[in-house]
Formats: sequence, structure tokens, C-alpha cells
Amino acid sequence: MAKKIAVDPITRIEGHLRIEAQIEGGKIVDAWSSSTAFRGIETILKGRDPRDAHHFVQRFCGVCTTVHSMASIRAVEDALKIQIPDNARLIRNIIMGIQNVQDHVIHFYHLHALDWVDIVSALSADPKKTAQIAQSISDYPKSSATYFKGIQDRVKAFVGTGRLGPFANAYWGHKAYKLPPEANLMAVAHYLEALEWQKDVIKIHAILGSKNPHPQTFLVGGMSMPVDPDSQNAINADKLALITKLLKKARAFVEQVYIPDLLAVAPAYLDWAGIGGGVGNYLCYGDFPMDNSPGTGSLYFPRGVIMGKDLANVMEMDETKITEDVTRSWYQYNDGAADKHPYDGETNPNYTGPQPPYDFLDTDGKYSWVKSPRYMGEPMEVGPLARVLVAYASGNADAKATVDFVLGKLGAPASALFSTLGRTAARGVDCLMLAQKCELWVQQLADNMGRGILEVHNGEKWDPSTWPKEAQGFGYHEAPRGALGHWIRIEDGAIKNYQAVVPSTWNAGPRDAAGKMGPYESALIGTPVADETQPLEILRTIHSFDPCLACAVHVLDGRGNEIIKVRAL
Amino acid sequence: MKALELRYVWEWPVRLTHWFNVIAIIVLSVTGYYIGDPFVSVPSTNSYVMGWMRFLHFVFAYVFAISWVVRIVWMFFGNQYARFPAFAPWATREGWKHIVGTFNYYTFLKKKVPYVVGHNALAAMAYSGVFVLFLIQIVSGFALYGQFQPGSFWDSAFGWLLPMFGNQGLRLTHHIIMWLLIGFAIHHVYSGWLMDTKEKNGVMGSIFGGYKFIDPDEE
Amino acid sequence: MHDPERSLQEGSVSEEILQKWEARGVSRRDFLKFCSVMTASLALPASFMGQIAEAIEADNRPPVIWMEFQGCTGDSEAFLRANQPTAAELILDYLSVDYHETIMAAAGHQAEAAKHKTVEEYKGKYIAIVEGSIPMGAGGAYCTIAGDSALNIARKVCGNAAATIAVGSCSSYGGIPAAAPNPTGAVSVSEAVPGATVINLPGCPLNAENLTAAIVHFLTFKKLPATDQFGRPKFAYGKRIHDNCERRGHFDAGQYAEGFGDAGHRQGWCLYKLGCKGPETFHNCPTVRYNEGTSWPIQAGHGCIGCSEPQFWDTMTPFYRRLPQVPGFGIEATADKLGLGLAAATAVAFGAHGVASALRKGDETDTKVKKED
Repeated sequence: MAKKIAVDPITRIEGHLRIEAQIEGGKIVDAWSSSTAFRGIETILKGRDPRDAHHFVQRFCGVCTTVHSMASIRAVEDALKIQIPDNARLIRNIIMGIQNVQDHVIHFYHLHALDWVDIVSALSADPKKTAQIAQSISDYPKSSATYFKGIQDRVKAFVGTGRLGPFANAYWGHKAYKLPPEANLMAVAHYLEALEWQKDVIKIHAILGSKNPHPQTFLVGGMSMPVDPDSQNAINADKLALITKLLKKARAFVEQVYIPDLLAVAPAYLDWAGIGGGVGNYLCYGDFPMDNSPGTGSLYFPRGVIMGKDLANVMEMDETKITEDVTRSWYQYNDGAADKHPYDGETNPNYTGPQPPYDFLDTDGKYSWVKSPRYMGEPMEVGPLARVLVAYASGNADAKATVDFVLGKLGAPASALFSTLGRTAARGVDCLMLAQKCELWVQQLADNMGRGILEVHNGEKWDPSTWPKEAQGFGYHEAPRGALGHWIRIEDGAIKNYQAVVPSTWNAGPRDAAGKMGPYESALIGTPVADETQPLEILRTIHSFDPCLACAVHVLDGRGNEIIKVRAL
Repeated sequence: MKALELRYVWEWPVRLTHWFNVIAIIVLSVTGYYIGDPFVSVPSTNSYVMGWMRFLHFVFAYVFAISWVVRIVWMFFGNQYARFPAFAPWATREGWKHIVGTFNYYTFLKKKVPYVVGHNALAAMAYSGVFVLFLIQIVSGFALYGQFQPGSFWDSAFGWLLPMFGNQGLRLTHHIIMWLLIGFAIHHVYSGWLMDTKEKNGVMGSIFGGYKFIDPDEE
Repeated sequence: MHDPERSLQEGSVSEEILQKWEARGVSRRDFLKFCSVMTASLALPASFMGQIAEAIEADNRPPVIWMEFQGCTGDSEAFLRANQPTAAELILDYLSVDYHETIMAAAGHQAEAAKHKTVEEYKGKYIAIVEGSIPMGAGGAYCTIAGDSALNIARKVCGNAAATIAVGSCSSYGGIPAAAPNPTGAVSVSEAVPGATVINLPGCPLNAENLTAAIVHFLTFKKLPATDQFGRPKFAYGKRIHDNCERRGHFDAGQYAEGFGDAGHRQGWCLYKLGCKGPETFHNCPTVRYNEGTSWPIQAGHGCIGCSEPQFWDTMTPFYRRLPQVPGFGIEATADKLGLGLAAATAVAFGAHGVASALRKGDETDTKVKKED
């Protein structure tokens, strides 16, 4: 007898996500992914100054902060044919790189780990044994028995109060938790450690861009942070040294804590290498240009598309093949079409769901605020896994070495990557590659400065009077959560239309007109659920995508007055 | 037919506030424009250009505000040409006739200028509007000024405008009214010249000395 | 022989507390040892042991329910960057964060149960923290959690709280969802729940230091701090950015960066002409800064965008110009261009009028002069 359950809110994500699932015989047989919040930021953008757009769209999301600013300024630069200075490229790469690194670590420890780590079990661990395990997998200097004892005492005192705060009511003791107490204690220690670490390393954003979250340093045509070795108000030798120091700290943690933890935890959950595969199509826009040549040839993570898990055939990505379907989303296109290319996208909200409070959504009709993006009509998974797979299959040497190292440690074949565990492992690979790359960009920036190249902004087309009457552009970025695209149409110096198709839209989207499921839904099919009142397994697969829902519900469009009309209905 | 007589029309407070306004508006417009768009950047850190501009702006803001208040007070105590009714021609039937007549003259429809001793009807209405613009300018200016110290006198007096119109809204208003007043000044000088040549009543000179030539027959 | 444990036991920790712990199966010896470790690790003199024992016994951490509605989680992320105390200390030692979707372990109905428990057990005593605006449109369907609308949840949770802290500009003033044309009818917490005791900590996102300061203020003085006319605490929003700006000297001198990356910009000249909204904005950014005092927007060469002011998305844009757009004119028309045009048009019009007037014959005033002869 099938039973339908709803998990709402899905916690430890960004934004508002609801999963409804049909469970039969201890396995999920059908699933619906729904975002339950809508803001309409793209509608708000219409008619505004395109140079301001990046401030607005950055507020799509405060977790993957910076990423929408990046895509937005690139879209405007593409539309107006602006070439940025080399220093701007390097500063952008450093900001994006450390963003990915920090975000992945936070995701692993603070958003994802509690799906695999039982905090309560850590209380019964032997700190000495924990220290032995920790020392055997890494030379991280903090792995002493005294250190783990201190952590355990602190947690014990906390648990002793009987008021568990954010750790209350979780699935502690669930039989799907398989780590020994000692490994759990190690993970809890590193949970707290990472909480301290993340706020330190992200200071790189503050140095280069004033603050984090929401750095204020991006500009159409470059960056606002000046570089000048002879000024105390610009990036100088002192600040470069500070950035380098923080990058080393970031890299050390990734190499000595995150990756060893990942490799230590994974073997206990190798069955998850066969669960949560999903749609098997992967899309990557590519990112991190290694030189300032136009085009996408120099991207460190290459651009490409993989269909049907076929790693032998990486196809060229063509953004004109992207559409967004609203058949099962709470929107409506004016001409009644099922899908549209983002340049022509519209966002007319059309809520047809139950009035709150409700118990279940009507999953036979429209059921989400997320649209369904498709590439050549197919659902695509985006994210670190797609990024790493495209790089790996394209023969990128760093990706190949890192992936082979991780797979070798786990004794798993490349096909194991198409899974919940593979997604989590690929995130580690992505993080490690970038943690090791950022220092190069700092070095190149220093070289430029040494040669007297101080330009950070190309102001030739800053004044709107230099713009063509009409222009349109596509801005890409590989955000922590995957392929991010912004499409802008500019007319008479103002935004005519703005559309963002973001990673979690690709991944969290509902079914389309043809009934094809989105990646979340598809990945949930076949996932075992041991206890339907404690659907821990659903969280594992969903969290492996690192959902970011505020980003995903983007609304944009065109004709602003349509919104009013729809609302009046 | 009597001879033209010289009459003391503009009393000294009227003339004095007029000239204070002229000086204040010129200084406030120049310094205000600079504050809004500092068109001169200076290389030396020793300079204090914006500082002086702002200082002058604030000092002349006080001059202008006091001048405005004095002129309003004089509307209660001055002669018939300085009092409130002189600025509200629309309040009387006679006034309406003058409004229509002057309008027709300005638009070349009629050749006769309705005869008045003080301000002509359209000018009087323009001045009413200008007095209101002055007030908005003074109030919005001091509301913006008060922000340097929340809780200060000016902040308490006019700070309530900030939530109503927004900081930037007040700034924009302050800025646009500056341009309106510059537009008014151009028109004002021109009309004075025009009437001086057409009426031959010494209106241009009257704002210096206070006397106008009056035709007793027309009065 | 001196026995430190004994003296501590006699001197500071009450017999009552020790008995309670014994009843729970914790020996006197273990408990005292733990208290002395805690005292030492907090770098406190031994005489504080009694207080710590009582604090542990009383566990008077205030319960916190952190709700996110139409937000971007930026304020939660800012909270994770807190330094004094750190987020870990806040979560474990200072507060009992009973509900916070981004960090909590529980999900689904177990998460909701935790929230309901706190609302019931600590009615009128817990702190509600709200991130994100609340949509009033579409019957609440623009933001639902566990099937209920943001508005219903806010009414219930904020309405029963000792105090509500609105973190970020969205919950304080509606923020970006409320920017024109406000497609979802988004409003602030104080608009959505008029009866609640709300303090606003705007900023996009808010500065974590201001949140911890507000919480510590509340814990220390048992009341909310004094606020300005926009409901913002004076300790953080009492002064204008412009008046505390490190570049103020350049402003007064008349030194302005004319373009990004030019010589003046590299030397830290004033960003006024690049659209900085520091003169319009009240916030303590220049003194407190962000990320443990590392930097703030103007230090990074980018003008202030006025993010702590109500409706800044509409009033402070365009961000790279000094003044807002004049309503009804194109995006390139600035007030000055319009003004200059107006003045020129006036001059031309009256010039033409003057020529026409001078040329025309037979004005009746002319005849009057003749009469005089």
C-alpha cells in the first residue's frame, strides 16, 4: 500500500523547499519537489539601470552570494561588448574560487553532515580512539585526545541541559546512521572547527569586496577594488599577503580535514553510491578563465554537456537550446506556450495550489514556484558533479588526477559518481581543485601589479549614452551549486527583460509538459525509506544537491503590468 | 488730466528682503550646484573647497530663511502693495479681470496692459508661487541639514519630512526647485525690463529706490 | 593538608545544587571538577565557580525562534560570521536556538514540533528573529512553510514572543521583494504583526556585530535598546555614514574619484561622484565594519548603496548617480540636465517674447506717454 508523505520544511538548505513522496515497500516510487516561496525580483528589475542589476540579483541568495552578481555583470558585458581588464578577471576568479571553497565546506559540515553523523552517538566515543583515527587519516595538528575530549565535554554539557536547540528532534539513533561513535565525535569536532574556519577564510571577500555576505565590489566592466602597490587604500603588498595567508588556511583545512573526513565517512555509506542517480544528464557552463582572451577557450573548468551518463561524448553547450517550461509551475506564459527561451521568458505568477494552511499540494496540477529548465527538451543536473564530470571527461588533468585519487581511495569505479554519494564526493573534488588554484591567481595579480598594470575597470562604456539602442547578452557562471545563467535585454539604457536560470532551478524543477521529472524528483525514485516518519534518506539525497531555493525562484519578466492583472484574478 | 506722480510703493523692508533674496539665491544656487555635482576636483589635500561651499551654503541658508520670514511678517505690517491681498488677485472680481487682461497682453492677444500700481496680476500670482517654493526650499534644506546630528533643533523641526518623502526625495526636490527658481529669475528680470519699457513707470528703478510713476487718471 | 576541591565545594557551590546533580546520577566530585574546568576555560577566577554552577543549573539561555520568510538567507550567513561572541558560542552557550531552518538538524514535522514546543512552553519569554519580508498577496501562497503562510506563522510566533528582532532590510522594511512594483505585496514584520514588540536591524545583510550587540543588550539589561524613528537601535544607526567616513577629509577638501580605478580612486578619494549614498544613510559601517572589522564598502572603493534605509531599492537607485531618476523621464535624464534645459528654454522663450514685444507697434501704454506731453 503506497503512502504519501510530505517533508516541509526541508531544513539545512537555503530557502523554502517541500518534498512530497509516494512510498511503497520501503522505497520511494514517486516524488514531487516544490518550492514554496516567490519574490518576483526579475519583475522588480524591469526599467532599471542595467549597471544596478547586479546589486538586485545578488539578493537572489545570501548563501551563494556573489554568484548572481558575477552572472549579471557578465550578461551586461556580453550585451555591450565590454572587455574587462586582466586584474578584474583575476580578482573575480579569487572571489569566485574562495566562494566555492567556503560554500562547499559549510555545505559538507553544517548542511549535509548531520544526515550521516549522529551527534548523540558521539557522546559515547572514546576520545583517545578518535584521536587515533584522526591521526591515521591526516596530519592536521589539532587531532589530540585532549582536543577531542574537550569537544566531547562541551557537547556533553550542552546535551546535559536537556535543551538541544538546533539539534533537538532530529533523527538521532536512526538505524541508517552507520558511523562508529569515534568517527561521529571526529565529525562533530570538525563541525565546530569549520564554523570558525568559514568566517575566517571568507574575509578574503571582505578584503577584495568590502564584506560577506553580499560583497559590494562588482561593476559592469570590472571591479571597484583598486590595486596599487603604492597606496594604502588599494590592494597592495600587505593585503596580498593577508589574502595569501587566508588562502593557505583555506587550503590546509580542505586538504587536512574536509577531504580526509569525506574519505573516512564514505566507506561506511558505499551503498549510497548506487542510490540517487537521477536524470543522468549533466550541464556545465564552465568558468574561471585562465587568461583574458575573449570566448570560453581558456576556462579552467571547461564548458560542456553530457547526456545519458555518456562520459565518452562531451557535447558543446549552446545556450540557445535552453528553455523553461511552466506546465507544472505556478506561472503562465501570455501566449499559452509551455516553454520559452530565457530571452523571451515571462514570469506571470498564477497560483493554483491550495490556500494555506494545507496538508498536501495538488501534485496532479501545478505544484511549484520553480520553473522547469530543459536543454534540448531534457532535464539536466548541474552542480559540482556536472562540473567535475565534464572536466574529467574532457581530459582536464587536474580533474582527472583528483577524481582518480578519490575513486582510488574509495575503491570505486567512475560510475559510482552518478549517485548521492558521488555528488557529495564530487563536491569535495571541486573544492580541492579550487582551493589549490586560487594562489595562482593571487600570484598573477601580484605580477601584474609589479609590472605597473593597475587597471581594474574598463569605463569606456560606463556612460549609457555610449550604448546601442538595443542589446542583449548572456552571462554565465559556475556557482557552487552549478551552472548559472542570466539573460538580459537592454533597450534605451534600461532593462527591458531579465531572466535568470539558476542551478537549483535546473535541479529542483518540477515535471515538464512531457511529464519528465526534474533531477531531485528523479534522484529520489528508488531511495529507500526505512521509517516513513523519519525520512532521513530523503534528506541525504536532496542535500547531496545542496539546494538553494531562494535562487531558484526567480521571476522575471517582461511585461510588468501582467503581474497586476494576474494578481487581480 | 493730471501729471504723473511719484509714489513710494516698495517700502524699505520689501526692497531689503528682495536684495537679500537675490544675493542668497545666487550664492545658494552656485554653492548648491557644487554640492550636488562638485565640478572642480582639487589635487591638494590642503584645500577645503567642499567645506567652504557647504559653509557658505549653510550661512546663506540662514540669510535666505530670515529674509523670507521678515518678508512674510511684513505682509501683515506693510502698505497695501506689500500685504497678503496684493498676492492673491484671484480672490476678487477686479483681480480676475486683471489676470485675464495681463494674460491677453503677454500672449499678444490684446495691446492694453491693465493698469496697476503694485504688481500686475500675473506677477502677483507668480510671486505667491515663488514664496511657496522658497518655503519648500528652506524646509527641505534644513531637514537635510539636520541629519548631521539626529535630535538637533533642525532635525526635530523638520526631520519628520525624511520618512515622508525620503532622504533622496527631499534632495531631488531641493535640486529641482533650484532650477525652477533660476527659471523664475530669468523670467522676472525680463518681465521687469518689458514693463519698464512698455509702461514707462520706472519699475526697474523702483526696486532700488522704492518709487514708481503713477498715473492718477488710471488709478 | 589543603584540599582545593573541598574548599571550593564549601565556599561556592550550594549544597542544594550538588544534591540535585547527585539525584541525576552525577557525583559531587565529577560535577565540581566539571565546574572548575569550565571556570578555567572561561579564564575566570575560581570565585566564579558558584555562578557557573548556578548558570548551568538554571540554564537560563533564552529560547530563540529564527524564521526566514521571503529572504535570501544572507542574514543567517551574516550571523554565522559573528565574532564576539561567535556563532558557535551563541548557538551553544548564549542562546537556545530552537528553530532555525538553515542550521537545525530536524526537518519536516519534527522541525515544526520543536517550534510549537517553544512557543507553548516559553510563551512571552522567547526571542523571535525574523529574516525576510512577509507577502500579503495571493492569500499568503507566495511564501508557505509546512503548508502554512508566512503571515500566519509570523502572527503566531512574533505575537507570543517577548521581543522580535527583524534582521535585515526585508523584515525591517520589506526590502527587495517590496521594491516597486512589489509583485507579492511584501511587507515588514511590524506591518504584518502590528501588535508585536519589534526592533529593526536593517542592512543588506545586517551586520552580525549589531545582532550580537542587540542580543547582549537584551540579555544584560532585560529590555530592547532605544530606537530612532525607523525602529532602529541608536547604538548602531544613530549616525550618518558620511559623518564617520574615513574619506570625509577628501570630501571636504574637494577631492573626488571620477572613475573606478583612476588615480584619485586608487588614493582613496571620496566616492561622492560615483554615486555614494553615505550622505543619505544611517549605519555604523565605518566604525564597526564587516567580517571582524576587515572592511566595508567604501573601503573597497565602492560607494554606499544605502542598504539600511527604508525602501532603499527604490529611493537610492540608480546606485551610481547622486540623485534619483526624475519620475516620468528616461533613465538618462538627470535632474541637472532637465534643470539646465528648463533654464535655457525659459531664457529662449522670453528672449523671443522680448523681441516680439519690442517690434510690435501701438501698445496702449505708448499712447499714454504721449498724453503726458
